[in-house]
Amino acid sequence: MGLLDRYEEVVGHQEVRRLRHLAERVAGKRIVHVNSTRTGGGVAEILGWMVPLFNELGLETRWEVIAGPPDFYRVTKSFHNAIQGLPVNLKRGDFELHNEVNRQNAERLNLEADAVFVHDPQPGYLPHFTPKGRVKRWVWRCHIDAARPNRAVWKYLEKAVPMYDATIFSMAAFARPLPRPMFIIPPSIDPLSDKNCPIPEAERLETLGRHGIDADRPLLLQVSRFDRFKDPLGVIDAFRLLKPYYPELQLVLAGGSADDDPEGAEVLKEVMERAGSEKDLKVLLLPPDAHRTINALQRSATIILQKSLREGFGLTVTEALWKGKPVIGGATGGIALQIHDYQTGFLVYSPAGAAYRVRYLLRYADKRQRMGKIGHEFVKEHFLLVRHLRDYLKVLLYLDHPGMETLVV
Amino acid sequence: MESYPPFVLFDCGLTRFALGKYCSNLRELLEAMRTVPDPVLEHHLVRCVLDDHFELNEFPNDLARWCWEGLGDQVLAEQLGLLDPYQSGGLAAVRATIVDAVEDRLWTIERVPWCRPGRELHLVQSRVIAYDSDERFTTPAALAEAFPRISLRSLFYHVHEAHWRGDGKSDDFSSWLEVAGAKPEMVRQWRSVDFYFRNLTQLRHEYMAIFRQHLPESQAAVSG
Repeated sequence: MGLLDRYEEVVGHQEVRRLRHLAERVAGKRIVHVNSTRTGGGVAEILGWMVPLFNELGLETRWEVIAGPPDFYRVTKSFHNAIQGLPVNLKRGDFELHNEVNRQNAERLNLEADAVFVHDPQPGYLPHFTPKGRVKRWVWRCHIDAARPNRAVWKYLEKAVPMYDATIFSMAAFARPLPRPMFIIPPSIDPLSDKNCPIPEAERLETLGRHGIDADRPLLLQVSRFDRFKDPLGVIDAFRLLKPYYPELQLVLAGGSADDDPEGAEVLKEVMERAGSEKDLKVLLLPPDAHRTINALQRSATIILQKSLREGFGLTVTEALWKGKPVIGGATGGIALQIHDYQTGFLVYSPAGAAYRVRYLLRYADKRQRMGKIGHEFVKEHFLLVRHLRDYLKVLLYLDHPGMETLVV
Repeated sequence: MESYPPFVLFDCGLTRFALGKYCSNLRELLEAMRTVPDPVLEHHLVRCVLDDHFELNEFPNDLARWCWEGLGDQVLAEQLGLLDPYQSGGLAAVRATIVDAVEDRLWTIERVPWCRPGRELHLVQSRVIAYDSDERFTTPAALAEAFPRISLRSLFYHVHEAHWRGDGKSDDFSSWLEVAGAKPEMVRQWRSVDFYFRNLTQLRHEYMAIFRQHLPESQAAVSG
């Protein structure tokens, strides 16, 4: 049984067959993906499933990882923040270091391919140092919201763009005008991963028990980092507004450990203070690999919240919808693409708004069920990895046949 | 018995391109409608049905949707929602109609409506990439039987895209049904479906209902 065959039970035999058929048009191409780490982080997670699936589809695909001294990662972390518009303090030497590490990696890595996908800014200057003719097409895949970047950093990265044949952004809203085609490819979830696969009822109940959550009472859940943009304090405020009407209500705020993130630790402290000794309000600090715990919590929730004030695509919303839950989310970023009032949940603009919509949904089990069903189908059609693979195959087809007229292959 | 070629089912997909440009208010929308290249207009009016939008949206095009949800200008949204690019005599005529509607609206309102930050209309252009799915149907009954499981993308290609690339009067399915000997009443009914105002799932159900009526022996009769 091939890797892709496992997805047939989720998306159907025909859909997998159609994907294979599309892939035949680009089969045999040599593809390289380059990023800066093999473990940890969203990009490594995507490449972890994408590379073997590309190979199964007949594309000869490799994954290369750049290497650099610790200082290089400090610089690229600053680039990452700067692209998202946060203030950073970078010196000329930092840009030179980035350039030099890219030069060294261009010599070290085997990049010979028909197409190289360069993920994020860390390896962004590889095309500059790679001998001409070794790579047929270069594509820069920017996973970061680059709508309002720091000027100096963007000017530096922008200089690399003309060396590429195309770029890819997750949403139109994340892109800035560039002199190369800017494909839109939203992220996706893997329905068979630990975070999204169906789990046994006993495991779900055991997870709730382990965390002191009552399986028989309504549960609100927000899964997110302890970050001010995720507005965990707003979620607690909304919960407090609801508690007099629904005394049996529970709230869980689940997020990763904030040990290595000074700001995260500060936000977590504020959250703990605001939560106080309220017994029905649990703040869970989970390790980075607690995927099945998150899965169990999401499947147990009555309503899922993602009350962000600013958000990227919002894959936690996608995960929640996939599990058939109505979602109440802040009207920002990709959340607004996924939540549709009265259909998959509600967009809200304040803690009061969140409380108001939760009250409505707690009252109507049938509406929650209907929304959950619609949300699940919406994700199935648009945000599973099969669609993601199809989008990459279309990029390869486009690069072979550029233009805007309908392409029949 | 007269022979006819089988129906060749295509699948398709959009490649979407960001422009890095967006509209925040009605004045910017007017400017965009005057100046954007045709593929941008085509995307927001026609191809957006294949976008990763929510299918149960109120309006069939992005412009009406954004005026309603983003700007809160219900009057203009209703007007643009009624626009049918397939019946408007080409893209230049559609563009002129939109520009006229937006300009007229700007003349009559006291304040220019703006959207909230984060709810901007991001301009996108797209290209359809179509490919032979390797599925062939030799009889109308065989097509009817397969209809519930063909992809919504195929439906878009053989209906919306067919109208756009052809004379605007028929889709691939009804053209083939006609030569395959389907009853004229069935073909007439098929062509009278107001496809632009349906989402793709609704459209599939509507066509399946026609199959059920005219080819009751096909599987569509039971699976619809």
